[in-house]
Amino acid sequence: MKKDSNVLKKLVDILDKVEKPSRYIGNEYNSVKKDAELSMCLIFPDLYDVGMSHFGVKILYDIVNKTDFAKCERAYLPWPDMQKIMIDKGIPLYSYETYTPVKAFDVIGFTLQYEMSYPNVLRALRLGDIPIKSAHRSDEDPIVIAGGPCTFNPTPIEDFVDAFLIGDGEEATTEMLVAIKKGRSRSEKLEFLSKIEGVYVPRYNNKVRKRIISEMKMDWAPVDQIIPYTEIVHDRGVVEIMRGCTNGCRFCQAGMIYRPVRERSATEIYDVSKKIVERTGYEELGLLSLSSADHSQINDTVDLLKKITDTSFSIPSTRANALTVEIAEAIGTIRKSGITIAPEAGTQRLRNVINKGITEDDIFSAAKLAIEKGWKKIKLYFMIGLPTETDEDVKAIGILIDKIKRMGFHEISATIGVFVPKAHTPFQFEAQIMPDEAFRRFKLLNWTRRFAKLNFTDPYKAIIEGVLSRGGKAIGEVVEEAEKQDLIFADWDEMFNPGKWMKIFEDKKIDLQKIMSAKSFKDPFPWDFVDSGISKGFLWSEHLKSIKERLTPDCRDGCTGCGVCQKFNVDNVIQEGIS
Amino acid sequence: MKYLFHYKRIGLLRYLSNHEMIRMIERVLRRTDVRFKMTEGFHQRLKLSFGQALPTGVIDRAGLFLLSTDEILDHDFLKAANSVSPPEFEIFKIDKVDEHFELGKSVDGYFFKLIFLKEPEIQDGWKVENKGKIWIVSFFNAFNSHSPKPGEFGQYLTIRNNAIFKD
Repeated sequence: MKKDSNVLKKLVDILDKVEKPSRYIGNEYNSVKKDAELSMCLIFPDLYDVGMSHFGVKILYDIVNKTDFAKCERAYLPWPDMQKIMIDKGIPLYSYETYTPVKAFDVIGFTLQYEMSYPNVLRALRLGDIPIKSAHRSDEDPIVIAGGPCTFNPTPIEDFVDAFLIGDGEEATTEMLVAIKKGRSRSEKLEFLSKIEGVYVPRYNNKVRKRIISEMKMDWAPVDQIIPYTEIVHDRGVVEIMRGCTNGCRFCQAGMIYRPVRERSATEIYDVSKKIVERTGYEELGLLSLSSADHSQINDTVDLLKKITDTSFSIPSTRANALTVEIAEAIGTIRKSGITIAPEAGTQRLRNVINKGITEDDIFSAAKLAIEKGWKKIKLYFMIGLPTETDEDVKAIGILIDKIKRMGFHEISATIGVFVPKAHTPFQFEAQIMPDEAFRRFKLLNWTRRFAKLNFTDPYKAIIEGVLSRGGKAIGEVVEEAEKQDLIFADWDEMFNPGKWMKIFEDKKIDLQKIMSAKSFKDPFPWDFVDSGISKGFLWSEHLKSIKERLTPDCRDGCTGCGVCQKFNVDNVIQEGIS
Repeated sequence: MKYLFHYKRIGLLRYLSNHEMIRMIERVLRRTDVRFKMTEGFHQRLKLSFGQALPTGVIDRAGLFLLSTDEILDHDFLKAANSVSPPEFEIFKIDKVDEHFELGKSVDGYFFKLIFLKEPEIQDGWKVENKGKIWIVSFFNAFNSHSPKPGEFGQYLTIRNNAIFKD
């Protein structure tokens, strides 16, 4: 790998001219600089402030830097003001550890957390002077790999990525680096990669099964977490307390693709937390999981964490029941910022359709307890456009907000998103509503603005997310054109330009109605070749049950037959109660 | 006991905003074994008071902050704190001061140095030294008066060089 001292020299001349220069200086405390035979640069395809908050990068950075043969550095997509100056001054995209141009690395790894970041991936490659298309890369170029939840439908972006890692990366990433080290030519490297379980190399594999780790080993919990200088989105240490979720909410892709559930024990969580606080100086730690209240040892965990003084803890508290509020209270979640619960839908009928598994009583008892414990603010999350939704269901969201406000909260806010069906979920067979219909349904809720703060997510963003999520190979051309037309940072309101996106769909003859429409069991999906472990039959039966408003229980209470555990010969890892 | 910390930030760390600098220092202190007094509330912060804030982009060799603690902070502590500091930041001196010591009352001002790559237009109070291809300007700035911004006079580098204390 060639170092380029020019990057650092040139940076010094331009950082006075950009907004928030600290997000570009790198060399943060706990960042790792080492010499190694093989070099990898993990690129988070979004701004540093977002990318540094992401936990997956922290895990892989730590694992690769603990190997004796490989090193891992990081890069992020600069904001447009910085991009412009970098292009003007001839500064390529560079790593934050050694200011090395990303092109000089052996491997580039992207994490694909949300579909809207696809044009950002292409922009990062362009700024890095790496050919956008896999087919145009030579032996001199890095191998471009990608992981993250979006890879469960890799087709829209497969022309741009050499190899995808689908599923858990803890073991597979090192195996991939070994394969790349071993391969003498680009094609040999790709061939070796294609033989690794969980890896999809577009020209080499016809099908792929996701990769899974059977348990969460202590070694894989990063404790020397990098401390940003910039105030980032989630500026805190992170402990992953559980991976996967057993609830079986039918809209939730994470709940399906991260199965089975793997809990870390309370004592491990405590040990990891203590080390993170010592090694980082962080004043806050976030406990990460898809549904913290479901962790079997959550009460013991909270009790143990109280031993760590001068540190506050935060916990995502979305499950709308009293236990969630109790945990938030016990852990000392800040009262000022309010408590958050996610009823998701306004009527019990629709909550049954989506298998949310909470009742109206659960929601009211959570709200009542929150008031008793001193919360004055509450935030609620809902979706519109869920399967079988009627106007009555939408209106019921307003009625529910009204009832909760009347319980005595000083301030109530509700975020209402447009449902986007995702691959590998029971709702992959469902239609997505178009923007005109979304705006009509939003209007049914306008009356609640008298007493609640409503945030509607942009229905055009939902459409684009829907196309990128459920589209096939043809969408790659859209992504390529979007990047050319500067439609980067599409998730950022100030950068979002729906008109230009719609024009590209039209020019590329993308049939939006077809992609958005309902599908049957027999319809082929672009992601059929990706085996998440959950059978299409199970997803279809869940879809049929949803229409009949029938619930599927939490699989902690007995197997529901999704197929993951049998296929991978694993089990839910549930900790025993220790109290 | 009250301590006066002297620190410097050099290199790319000059691009930290004042707020970013303060938080970075708090985390350095939290990484040491010493327990300091904290503020109340959800986000417990260290009780620190800083000298005059600097514009982003200025190299600082004269950073100051005050800290109260029941612990004795000796040279070993200084070494320990620097061992958990990010590159380009260094605490170079810790003085024990009187309980009534306040930065606003004790610091007279700061000497600044501006480095120019071409001959500058001389301003009142500037002392200029020409060293080959560079010109070094130095001047005194009273505490809490306007600090020079990067590039304000066409200079290449801006350095807050040293603090001057009242007798």
